[in-house]
Amino acid sequence: MPLVAQEIPKVGLVMEEVKVVRWLKNVGDSVAAGEPLLEVETEKSVVEIEAAATGRLNQILVQADERAAVGDQVAWIESAERQGASATTAASRTADPKTVAPTPSAAAMAVRDAERIRSTPVARKLAAEHGIDLGAIAGTGPGGRVQLGDVQRAVDAPRLPKAAARALSPMRRALARAMTLSNATIPQFTVARSVEWTVLQALRGELSAGLPDGSLKISLIDFLLQAVARALIEFPDLNATFSGDPDSADACVIQASGAHIGLVVAVDNGLLVPVIHDVERLGLAEISRRRQECVERGLKGRLKREETEGASLSVSNLGANGPDRFTAIINPPQSAILAVGRQRDCVVARDGAIVVRPLSELTLTVDHRVADGRLASLFLARLVAILEGRDWRLG
Amino acid sequence: MQHTFIEILRRALDEELARDAAVYLLGEDVAAGGAFGVTRGLAQKHGSARVRNTPISEAAITGLATGAALCGLKPVLEIMFIDFATLAMDCLVNQTAKYRYMAGGQLAVPLVVRTQAGAAGGAAAQHSQSLEAWFIHVPGLIVVAPSTPAEAYGLLKSAIRIGEPVLFIEHKRLYTMKGELAEGAELPPIGRARIVRPGTDVTVIAYSAMVQSVLEAARQLAEEGISAEVIDLRTLLPLDMAAIAASVSKTHRALIAHEAVLNGGVGAEIAARIGAELFDELDAPVLRVGCGFAPIPFAPELERALLPGSADLVRAVRQIMGLAR
Repeated sequence: MPLVAQEIPKVGLVMEEVKVVRWLKNVGDSVAAGEPLLEVETEKSVVEIEAAATGRLNQILVQADERAAVGDQVAWIESAERQGASATTAASRTADPKTVAPTPSAAAMAVRDAERIRSTPVARKLAAEHGIDLGAIAGTGPGGRVQLGDVQRAVDAPRLPKAAARALSPMRRALARAMTLSNATIPQFTVARSVEWTVLQALRGELSAGLPDGSLKISLIDFLLQAVARALIEFPDLNATFSGDPDSADACVIQASGAHIGLVVAVDNGLLVPVIHDVERLGLAEISRRRQECVERGLKGRLKREETEGASLSVSNLGANGPDRFTAIINPPQSAILAVGRQRDCVVARDGAIVVRPLSELTLTVDHRVADGRLASLFLARLVAILEGRDWRLG
Repeated sequence: MQHTFIEILRRALDEELARDAAVYLLGEDVAAGGAFGVTRGLAQKHGSARVRNTPISEAAITGLATGAALCGLKPVLEIMFIDFATLAMDCLVNQTAKYRYMAGGQLAVPLVVRTQAGAAGGAAAQHSQSLEAWFIHVPGLIVVAPSTPAEAYGLLKSAIRIGEPVLFIEHKRLYTMKGELAEGAELPPIGRARIVRPGTDVTVIAYSAMVQSVLEAARQLAEEGISAEVIDLRTLLPLDMAAIAASVSKTHRALIAHEAVLNGGVGAEIAARIGAELFDELDAPVLRVGCGFAPIPFAPELERALLPGSADLVRAVRQIMGLAR
């Protein structure tokens, strides 16, 4: 029966490499085309890859925890179907030198031989004692042989404490890429303003009391999301993203279809930004429900790709133990990010008197290609006004 | 006061004859002083019973000396030229070296065989050889090869006193070498090498007359900024690997020099043991310097051309240091 190659399809826009999380089928199991066959971790989430053909899983080529690039073959499925050009027989594949072979090929051995570094035994011993890579040392002996003195010089050379290198997780790599892109391409400015929680604190108690038993608890972040959504709808020029090279003819500002808001969620060694769409249409209870659901799924690595896209602004709240204020970096292709400082009692002037009030500092970072300082400060002032007001939609 | 190698050997023998009544000398012409005059005057002083001429038969006199040693005497036999030790080898290898082992330790052969080796200017192919390697192949023998008059004095006394069969190799070229004798100095132990010249860059291991060539090379190398540590093995069997290991572990480079040919030589043995025991200490291949693989020519010019000298040693050290072309 012909063998069909199971490859890693491109799922995300920037997806290049995945890590196999687990195989959902064992070798010998029957599989149906379209049925989930394995789980892979992409830069943004864990996704299921569907079987490319109906038949029997013949061989797994990339095991759990191993990496594969988009387009890489990860398994053979023995199938009666013929799947275009990828369908082939085992015999013809075995003859292909690119096929994963169980033993090192002659070519690989030759490469290893060529990489052999000529060195003396005592040089190797000293290098090993100091964890020095012989390949990084220029040998001064006959034929470029690395000798004791060469290693000794490397040992004696002033060195920074050796930093342990750690491979990037797909998430870390995606983060690094996004933040580098953000800093390199988005001219960002920030505006900041304090918000007072006195009214909201009182309202929150009242509103929660009005909810039926067993309802989800509405948190401060839910109020924030509703307020941001409303402000975004009121300031459509800010509810947009920039696209393209400013010099190119196709550069444009894309208007958002609704208030789609990202929520920055910290996870182990990284962060996720699930997006809640059309927040302006949702009451606090629904915002709370959706927020908790997507955070939970995000922490499990189970977010779908569409649940991480489409936002023009994200909210980053480092919580009660967070800083008084901080500046966040925009998550491309979004155009703004709101950094929420911790709530704390502050001494403020009210009506000529010195009083103590619960405040937070809001710092809004904006893509200057999309909006200017005036618009950003008006938006922020409106946001604060909404947060300090009494106009909330519960259901 | 300076004494020649010969005078100092004579003095050592004289003192041992006086010290121990079991000691006696035998060999071809020894009562008249031997071929080189080492034993001159000793027959007159200690009597013809203790300094005895023998027939010209190395096989017979080696057997005689071995028998005397088995019976409790301490003979010092002179084999005139190591080249003729071939005639003594059956006894030395099959009898002298084996008795203690085959008698389960109940018998000993306290015999010293003095013999002359090496080229010394025109003695030609049959009187110039360095054949020590043949003897380091034999379990049960001790092989000693001193490098100076003072060393010869102490080592010969130690050899006479150790109570085992010892082949004591005297290099003919050293016979006229003069040296000071430290009165009352401790006798050098058999089986221990000595550092003749300390150094840090390369260990040069030698013995017998070659030590003098190595020292000359070391002086030249010092002018080039290369610090050679010179080891005089003194005893070739057993080999003092501890001394070699200590030095090579310091310098990480080794050269072995001897007048004998390289094939199957003492240098091959030492190089193999350095490779096996000190592999992780090496920073360069172990090299050897020895005689060209040919009989020693009679013509002095050819003899000089064939024998290894300080220039060969300097070249080899440069090669080890990675400085050769």
